[in-house]
Amino acid sequence: MRTLKLPKTRLDFFASVVQQFGEVHAPVEQDGKYAFKRLTRWSQARLDYTRTILPPKKYFLPPRETLFRYEDGKGYVPCADGLNERIVLFGVHACDVFALNILDQVFSGSYPDPYYQTRRRNIVIIGIDCTPDDHCFCRSMRADFVERGFDLFFFDIGDYYFTLVGTARGDDMVLAAGSLFEPVTLGDVEEYKRRSSSKRGSFKRDVEIRDLPEIFELEYRSEIWDELGDRCLSCGSCSMVCPTCYCFDVTDDVELGSRTGRRVRTWDSCLFPSHAMTATGEDFRKTRASRIKFRFYHKQRGFVAEYGRPSCVGCGRCTTSCPVKIDVVEVVDRLRGEEYVSKQRSPDVEIRHHGESVSAAHGAARPNLSDGG
Amino acid sequence: MIGVEKRILIVDDDSDFLESLSCFLEANHFLVLKAHDGAQALKLAKIEHPDLILMDVMMGERTEGLFTVQEIRRDPELQDIPIFVLSALYSQVPEFEVSPDRGWLAHDEFLSKPVDMSLLLAKIHQRIGVAR
Repeated sequence: MRTLKLPKTRLDFFASVVQQFGEVHAPVEQDGKYAFKRLTRWSQARLDYTRTILPPKKYFLPPRETLFRYEDGKGYVPCADGLNERIVLFGVHACDVFALNILDQVFSGSYPDPYYQTRRRNIVIIGIDCTPDDHCFCRSMRADFVERGFDLFFFDIGDYYFTLVGTARGDDMVLAAGSLFEPVTLGDVEEYKRRSSSKRGSFKRDVEIRDLPEIFELEYRSEIWDELGDRCLSCGSCSMVCPTCYCFDVTDDVELGSRTGRRVRTWDSCLFPSHAMTATGEDFRKTRASRIKFRFYHKQRGFVAEYGRPSCVGCGRCTTSCPVKIDVVEVVDRLRGEEYVSKQRSPDVEIRHHGESVSAAHGAARPNLSDGG
Repeated sequence: MIGVEKRILIVDDDSDFLESLSCFLEANHFLVLKAHDGAQALKLAKIEHPDLILMDVMMGERTEGLFTVQEIRRDPELQDIPIFVLSALYSQVPEFEVSPDRGWLAHDEFLSKPVDMSLLLAKIHQRIGVAR
C-alpha cells in the first residue's frame, strides 16, 4: 500500500481538491453531537469528533429510498434517484469503514443489491484515525484498523497526516493534489508506529470475542434476556444508529387512483414488534425479551456462523443512544460472568440451562446493568 | 434602443480590489454587484441572478470561494451562471491546482491576481458580450 504524508496546514486545500471528485460531506457539530453533512465551508468540518449520531451507512442504505415506480402500461420502472450522486465522505473512522466492509459482504452475497453497490462505487471514502472515548471497544472487535474499503486514510502524526492510499481513485486524488503530498521519511514511520501503539493502550473498554458464539450458545436461557426485555423499550434506536444493522422493510406506496405508485425500502429494526410478524398474523418474537435476545444473537453469534466474525464493530453508538442504558459490553461481561460463576458453582449450569430460575445469590453476584454508561 | 445592462457580481473580501475592479467595470458600462464573502454572494446571486460572477478564493476561509462555487453549481437556478475565478491562490500555493472542468468546482476562467484588466475585459466580452 502506498504511503504519503500531507501537511496539516494544507488539509483545507486538499479538501477543495477532492471537491472535484464529489460534494464533500464530513462530520459537523450539531447540538453538541456530530453528524455527517454536506459542507458549505471547510470550517464546518470537525475531524476531531468522537462518533456521529448516524453512521455513514445512511449514504449507502438510505433510511428511505424508492426502488421502483410502477405505472399503468409501463410496469415496474427502476428508480435511480440519487444513485449517481458523487459524494466524498471526509473523515470516516476505521470502525465505520470496517462496518461498510461488513455491509459489502451482505449486499454482494447471494442477492447482490445494485442500489447499495452503485452507491458504494460512487462514494469516495477518506478515513481518519481517532482517539477512543469511554464507549469505544472497536479494538476488541478487531475493527480499530482497516486495510481496505477506503480511498485514502489519514493518521495524525503531529504536523502531518500519515496517509494510506487504498484505491486507484485515492491515487487519482493524490495526483490531482499536485505536490500537496510529500514522501514519508523513516522518522514519520516511527512516529506513526509510536502513535499506533499509544492508541492501542488507550482503550478503556475491552470485550473478549474469541469464544463469544459458544458463550451465547451456553447462555441461551439466561435470565439476563428477560431482565433486558423488561428494560428495553423496543424503540429501535440501537438498530438505527448501528453501522451494520441492515434490516429493511419494503412497502408499496400506492397513489390516488391505484394505477401508479412506488415500491419503497425503509430501515427496519428487529426490536420493533412488527419485525417478526407474518402476513398470516403469526408473530415469532412477541416479547421484548425475545426481540432483544434475537438482536444480540444475530450480531454476536449468527453473523459469526455466516461471515466468520461478529457484525458488531465496537463503535459504541448503541450504548450511547439507548434511553435505558443497555450496554453491549456489560451484557457480554455479565454473560461471561455467569459462566464463570457457573464454573465455580457447577450445579447451577444444569439448572439454568433447563430454564429454571437462578438463585438470588447468583443474581446478586452480577453487576447492575444500569450502573454502566 | 438601449439594451439591458449586463450585471456582474464581484465577490472579494479585499475592499480595495473590490472598489477598483468595480470602477473599471462600471466605466465599461457594466452594472456591478458587490459581495464581501461567500454567503453574501449566494444571497445576492439568488436575488439578482447576474450575468457573470467574478469569484475570489481565499476570503474569510482559504477555500471559501471554492465552496461558494460548489453552492452556486448545485443550485438549479444559479448553476448556469458563468464564473470567473480571480485569485492569488496559485501564486501563494503553487502546488495547488483546480481543473476548470472538474465536478463541483467547474468554472469558466481562472485568472491569477494581480489581474490583467484588459485580459479580463476581453474575456468578459467574449463570454457575455459587451455591456449594452
